[in-house]
Formats: sequence, structure tokens, C-alpha cells
Amino acid sequence: MKIRFIAGAAALAATLAVSACGSSSDSAEGPERLTVWIMKDSVTEDFLTRFSEDFERRHKDIDLDVQIQEWDGIGEKVTAALASTDAPDVIEVGNTQVAQYAASGGVKDLTDRTEDLSGADWLPGLAEPGKIDGKQYGIPWYAANRVVLYHKDHFARAGITSPPATQDDWLADTAKLDKGRIQGIYLPGQNWYTLAGFIWDQGGDLAVRSGDTWKGALDTPQALAGMDFYRRLQALGKGPKDSDEAKPPQAEVFAKGDVAQIISVPGGAKIIEEANPALKGKIGFFPVPGRTAGEPGAVFTGGSDLIVPEASAHQDAAYQVIKALAGDTWQTDMAKTMSYVPNRTSLAGAVRGSEGTAAMAAGAARGRATPNSPQWAAVEATNPIKQYMTAALTGTDPAKAAKEASDSITKTLGS
Amino acid sequence: MNRTSASPVTHARIRRLPLHAAALLVFVLSVFPVYWMVLTAFKPTQDIQSQTPLFLPTSVTLDHFTKAVQADGFWLFWRNSLAVTASCVLLALIVALGAAFAVARLRWKGRRGFILMVFIAQVAPWEALLIPMYVIARDTDMLDKLSMLTLIYFMITLPFTIVTLRGFLTAIPVELEEAAQVDGCTRAAAFRRITLPLLAPGLLATSLFGFITAWNEFAFANMLIIKNQDDRTLPVWLSSFSNVFGTDWGATMAASTLFALPVLVLFLVLQGRVASGMTSGAVKG
Amino acid sequence: MTAAAGARRTPGAERAARTPGALWPYLLIAPTVLGTAYLLLYPLVRNLVISFQTYGMGELIRGGAPFAGLANYREILDDTVFWEVVRRTFWWTAVNVVLIMVLATLVALMLQHLGRRTRLLVMSGLVLAWASPVIATTTVFQWLFSSRLGVVNWLLVRLGFESYENYSWFANGSSTFVILVLLVVWQSVPFAAITLHAALLTVPAELYESARLDGAGAARIFRSVTLPMLRPLFALVLCLEVIWVFRCFAQIWAISKGGPGDATTTLPVYAYRVAQSLHRYDLGAAVSTLTVLLLVAVLVVHLRQMFRQEGEL
Repeated sequence: MKIRFIAGAAALAATLAVSACGSSSDSAEGPERLTVWIMKDSVTEDFLTRFSEDFERRHKDIDLDVQIQEWDGIGEKVTAALASTDAPDVIEVGNTQVAQYAASGGVKDLTDRTEDLSGADWLPGLAEPGKIDGKQYGIPWYAANRVVLYHKDHFARAGITSPPATQDDWLADTAKLDKGRIQGIYLPGQNWYTLAGFIWDQGGDLAVRSGDTWKGALDTPQALAGMDFYRRLQALGKGPKDSDEAKPPQAEVFAKGDVAQIISVPGGAKIIEEANPALKGKIGFFPVPGRTAGEPGAVFTGGSDLIVPEASAHQDAAYQVIKALAGDTWQTDMAKTMSYVPNRTSLAGAVRGSEGTAAMAAGAARGRATPNSPQWAAVEATNPIKQYMTAALTGTDPAKAAKEASDSITKTLGS
Repeated sequence: MNRTSASPVTHARIRRLPLHAAALLVFVLSVFPVYWMVLTAFKPTQDIQSQTPLFLPTSVTLDHFTKAVQADGFWLFWRNSLAVTASCVLLALIVALGAAFAVARLRWKGRRGFILMVFIAQVAPWEALLIPMYVIARDTDMLDKLSMLTLIYFMITLPFTIVTLRGFLTAIPVELEEAAQVDGCTRAAAFRRITLPLLAPGLLATSLFGFITAWNEFAFANMLIIKNQDDRTLPVWLSSFSNVFGTDWGATMAASTLFALPVLVLFLVLQGRVASGMTSGAVKG
Repeated sequence: MTAAAGARRTPGAERAARTPGALWPYLLIAPTVLGTAYLLLYPLVRNLVISFQTYGMGELIRGGAPFAGLANYREILDDTVFWEVVRRTFWWTAVNVVLIMVLATLVALMLQHLGRRTRLLVMSGLVLAWASPVIATTTVFQWLFSSRLGVVNWLLVRLGFESYENYSWFANGSSTFVILVLLVVWQSVPFAAITLHAALLTVPAELYESARLDGAGAARIFRSVTLPMLRPLFALVLCLEVIWVFRCFAQIWAISKGGPGDATTTLPVYAYRVAQSLHRYDLGAAVSTLTVLLLVAVLVVHLRQMFRQEGEL
């Protein structure tokens, strides 16, 4: 009797478990189902829909499943995917992180496709990190650097007719804007890419190399001066001191309408307009101001590469997706839609004339990268810079906090 | 006369005043966070953002719940969580019942060793096993499968279930079963007809504990479900929800409320039995 | 009356001992043993093996990890950060467990003296706190302590602590630590209090009566009547709380990820950070193994006591 009871219950439990995972099985017949991972806010939803529809129309045998990934915890997630037996087929990875994946052996070598993709004039800032020992693993997708996005109405109301040209003007204008409900600038406390720019402006760096060893450099006088400017600017708005620009998404904060400026890639304007169509046409751009007029501030050159995991079950189809995304048509479309720098220099003409891109191009002249160590991704993973910024903004002695953060960077880069 | 008889009562009241103040404090402190969660979930956004917090609802809105429920795949993840949790609890109960019976009612070689194993399994460091478990799941083709999660949750809740059920079983006099057997029942029938009903509170208490553990689990769910996003569970969804909605506390609290709801309802309905069941299990354990 | 003695007397058990039915107990425990072997023992062994290998992202993806002997353990044990984390873990466990036990005992004693209706009310409150899922309450605590519009800051400002206007609790190591302690204590006290309260109910009323007749005061009664009766269960709850607090991961990870700096990094968080963020799975495995050893060392008393009780049955 009892056996029957147990057997019955076990069968029930097994049925539950089986039916629970039934939804996940790929069907063998019908089109190939490709999974593509795109990072949150890389491109607009509209762009993805247009791309998917067009792609599926041209490739009747492929069914695209585009999944949006959060930046938080993405390192663990991509690693788990690369190590799995049935990975997503195409993954977007940041240009500061692609090197470690390329070196891990989990990414398909696409060297023989370089020519097919006209890789000769790829942007070096995207192509180099995706290349290890002469083999191309990461395919450049887009690049961008940060500019200042501003709300034209708020500027007009404050009587500011031309964008600030120097850091001092910028502080003065922002203070003028920061009245009542309006935030002069929404700058979260942990926007470390922006801090990196201010530090470079002062002649400092995040870490410096001597011989074979790297050393954290946040505690140099130049870097501390950069942090001090960040602190003064940050105080002219209500950005949370203990969070970064993704949490909450700063585009959504701006979309509410009470923020005069944010520091973002120009494409952020599209995300804002998507969230609040009333702001269409009211968003202006200017390069991040430098210390002297006529020389814009230094900025971090960001961007993304596309990779195909070795564990992808549909590598040929995956390559078709990459070829489309990295090819002329969609590069031009994306550059226009998102105001990104296309992955090839010969396509740069596509974005000429757009206000956002003009601002970005002015800044791009002073574009810089994070320290070129394969361990840099590990620094970003635990990010002591963010913690240092929060500490310095909330009353801790900046020099002391900078020393701690620098030691932590030194240690991670040395391991 | 009247005064003299009233005064000791008043006196007693005054003496009990600190006690009642303490009781009130404990009540408020334990309830407030939950109350605040539910209240925020129902408040219109402008009330949430008011500089002076409003401690009582002035007007009620369902906007935040709509937003949470309409977020991509909410019902799907709800169903996944429920399926995984229910199957793991059921599985653990059945397996634990057998083991608890063997330990409490039968005499066999290796019994002490088995009990020791269960005790040690109770303190197993599950978070430490994330990577090995990932590797094992991958090598046996169990990645991206809810059944793997079910098995892991089953194993996490099993030792506690065995120990508690054994406590309950020991508390039920074996004579009752014997009497039934004298009346002509087989041993199995005696167990099923006599002991099982008496065991009900114990089964309830342990299954609730298992339910909470599995319902809450995040680390394995996050690590083992990679590509099949439709197979995510609620905790994973809730964690990305707070990423997405950031300072939209209304929606976040609505999502948290929906997440807490099944457990709270189960608990409040079964409150008395669970509390007593839990302790008698613990006492015997 | 104990189960073993009872079983010996039952005809069923005797039959079971003589016939092929002697297989029954083994059949009944087989699923448990198999499950434990495959889902607990095997992963533990894999973890141990990894801790003796060079195991990074590449090895996880490609396989073929070379053995590294004791190198990982040497690296961990030589690292001052590790010892700091160990010290912090013990401090974290001690602070939480002491607070939980003291508060739970007080609440249990209070419950005992309350009238029926008030007691039911307070119990319901405690059960509500106890039953709330960890992830939900963790989110709620972040909201309570949020720098803008957080109700705690508002209250502190109202009470005259002006400096808490928009205070960022999570920016500072010690204040983050304090919030985590509050959260864990808030979540743990109900279980301990309700269990201890149930234990208090088992103390026969006559004992109190006679103690009172002997002229003992409240403190004296607590010391010589309540405490001895409470001891076994008190010990059990204490051990459970030590295990739970020591192993606590989800709350810390969700609120602070061990930060700011290392201020709230306890051993489980440290192991996770080393393994997942730095992709040093080998070091992470070594830290986990050391964590298990530490926990076992702390709990060896508990296990021995449990086992001794077992012998009495």
C-alpha cells in the first residue's frame, strides 16, 4: 500500500518537474532558433525590432530570439554561458571586457572572416581588444564616447545661450540651472568613466605601468584634483552618491523632465525620447568641457564587440547575424539611430551632420582607453573606483580613500 | 469602599504598563517593514515622493501592481517558481517520510551513521558549491533545466525535513500502530491509517519551511538558468526588477509584495499549527 | 518511551529483523543516501579537487585544469585580507547571534506574561516578519534606509539628528554593517523567540509556584527554574542561529555585495567574490573549503551533543 502511495507521489512530483521544464525544449523541425544577447540600452527597442524583422525576412530558416541583458553581474553570466554546452549564439561584450573572453578559449576564432567583413579599416579601439595572438575573436560593433546631453528649455530659461567651453564656465552655468525643482546636472556618484575623463584632463590616470607591473594611481595629486572637480559638479544636482548611471537608468531620470544635463553617449537621447516623446527636439549636445576653451575634455572611448561562443550550436547562422549587424546597412542605420561611431572609419560619413555626433566627434579627438592590462576587467568587476567615489563624496578624506582604492587596483592588476 | 477595590486593579495596570509598551514596540517593529512594503505598493507615486512620509493610505492605486505584473514574463516566472517549489517540497516530503520512518521505527545496522550524515548535511555550505554544481550540471547536460533546480532544492530541504519528521514520528506512540495491527491491519496500512493523519501538522510545518527555502533561492537559479530566460524563477526576476526600476519604489514594492504573498498567506492561515509544529519538531530534533 | 525501545518490542520489527524484510530500512533510506551522495558529497569532492588545481576562466570553459598542489591554500593563507575576512566573519556572527539570543529570550519571557489576546497579536506580528521572504524584506530594508525619501532618515531628522538629512547609509562601511545586522536580527528573532516561548510553556506551573512560595524573586526564579529548563532548546536554537548567520549570503550580497570596500565581506561573500568576480575558481574553492572546516570546528560541540542525545534514544 505504502509503496503504491510513494510511487504515485513520486510520479506526480516527477510529472511536475518534467512539465515545468517542458517549455524550454527547442523543436527540431521548423526554423533554427538563434539566441542573441544584447546589453541593456545599447540600442533602442525599435532598432532591434526593425533589425529582427528584416533579418528573419532575408533568412527564412532562422528565428531570432534577442534577449536584453543587465550590466549588473554580466561577467558571471557571460562566463557561465561560454562554459555551457548550449550557449547563446551571439553575445555583445564591452570593449574593456572582450580581451579576457577572447583569451579564455570559449570564443570562436573569426580570423578567416575578417576580409568578408572588410575588417581592414575597423576602429582599432574595438578591433585590438578582440584580437589575441593575431587571431580575431571579437568583431567590432560600435564605439561611442560621452558628451553632455542638455534640456534646451531649461538652458533657455536660465539665460544660457551658448554651451560652456571650459570647466569653470560649466560649473557656473550648472549652478545657475540648479534652482528649485530643476537639477543642474544629474550625475550619480559612481559614474567612473566620467571621473576617468576628469582625471586625464588633469594629467593623471587610473593606473600607471612601470616595467611589468601596474600601480593604481588614484592617489596622485592630479587624480585627486579630478575627483575634486567631480565632487563640485556632482553637488549641483540630486544624483545619488552611492549608485551609478545604470541604477536607476539615467535616461529615465532625464525623461521625467526636471534634469538640465546628464553625461551620456549621444544615443542616450533616443532612449530618452522613447521614454518621453514630449522631449523630442528639446535635447541638445555639447562635448564635455576641458580645462581651457578650444580643447574639449578627455573622454573614455567605449564600445562593444560581438562574439560567437564555441559552445554555440548554430555558428554559421550566428555568423550571418554578425555579418548583418557589422555590415554597411545596419552600421549606417545604427550610427544614425543611436549616434554611434560606426565600426569602420570608411562609414564615418554616415553620421556627419547630426548634432550629437558632432559633439561626440569633437570629444573623440581626446578619446582614451582604460589601462591596457588583461586583468583590467577584474578591476571593473569589484570596482574599487566606484566605492572610492562614494566615499569621497560622502565626507571621507579623499586622499585616504584614494590610497585604499589604488592599493586595491594595484593588487588586482598584479594577480 | 469603591476606591479601595479599584486601586489594586489600577496599580496592576500601571505595573503592567511597561510590559504592554514592550509588547507594542515588538509588534510595531516586526510588522512595520512588511506594512511599509504593502503600503508603498498601493500609494500613488506622488505620495511616495512626498517629503513627509504618509503612514496611512490617503488614496489607493493599483498602478504599481499593473506595472509589475505587466513586466515581461511575470506570470511565467511565477509559474516556474511555483512548479519548482511545489515539486521539490513534495519530493522532499516523500523521501524524508521514508527515511524518518526507518530511523524512528525500525532497528538496523548503520542507523547511527545515517543519522550523523543527516545532521552534517543540515549544515552543508550550499553557496560554496555553486561552481562544482555548475560543472556537474553541465557535464550531465542538466544546465538550463528547472528539473536540476528542483533536485538541488530538494537536497537543500531534505535533511531538515528528515530531522523534523523524525521528531514528530517519535512523539506518536507506536502502540497506536500496534493496536491497529492487532485488529488485522498490515503494518503499512496501520501506518497509513493511524500515524499519517497524526503526522499532518509535522508534514505541514516541514513543507512550509521547505517552501520558503526553495521559493527564496537565488544563487543557483541565477547560475544554472542561462540561455532559457523563460525558465527564470521569481527571485532572479525580482533582482533584475530592482535593477530596472531602481528608484521606482512603488513598482519594486509591488513586485516584492507579489513575491511575498503566497508565503505570507500560507503562514497566516496555518499560523498556530506551524508554530507549534516547528517547535515540537525542534524539541525532538 | 523511545522509538528504538518501542520498535524492539513490536512484532513488526521482529518480523522485519528475521525475514527478507530486513532490507526495508535500507530501501527507505536509499533515496536520501543517493541524493546526498550525488548532490552534496560529490559537489563537495569536486570543490575540494578544484581547490588543488589551477582553475580559472579558461579551465572552466576548456577543462583540463592542471594540479597545483597547495598553491591556492598558500596564496589564501598568506593574504592578510583573508584573515581580516575571517576576523570579520566571527565578529559578524558574534554580534548577530548575541543580539538575536538576548532579544529572543526577552521577547519569549514577555510573551509568557502577556494576556491571551495581546500575545496572539504579538505572535502574529512575529510570524509575519519570520515568513516574509528574504529577498522581499531585503528590498524593503533598502527602501527604508534609502538616502532620499527613506523613512528612517526622515525619522532621525524629526528626532533632531539633522545630519541624517539625505544620509547615504550604504556609502559607509560601518553603517552598512549596522543595517545588515538590523536586517538579519529582524529576520531571525521571531523564530528564536517563538521556539523559546514554546519551550517556556513546557515548564510546569508548579515549579514556579513552589519557587515563589520559597520566597524567590523574579531574577532568582529565572536563574534557577526557567534557565535550566530552557537550556537544551536554548543550545539548539543558538547552534542553528550560528549556522544561519555564519553562512548568511543572500542578504549581504543583495544589499552591499560585501562593500563598500571590504566592510561587509564575510567568508561566504569573499568566496563568491574571488570565484565569480575575479574568475579565480580555484581560490574560491579553497576559501569555501576553509569556511567549511571553520564552521565544522565551531559546531563540533553541537554535533557531538546532538549525537549524544541520539545515543540516549
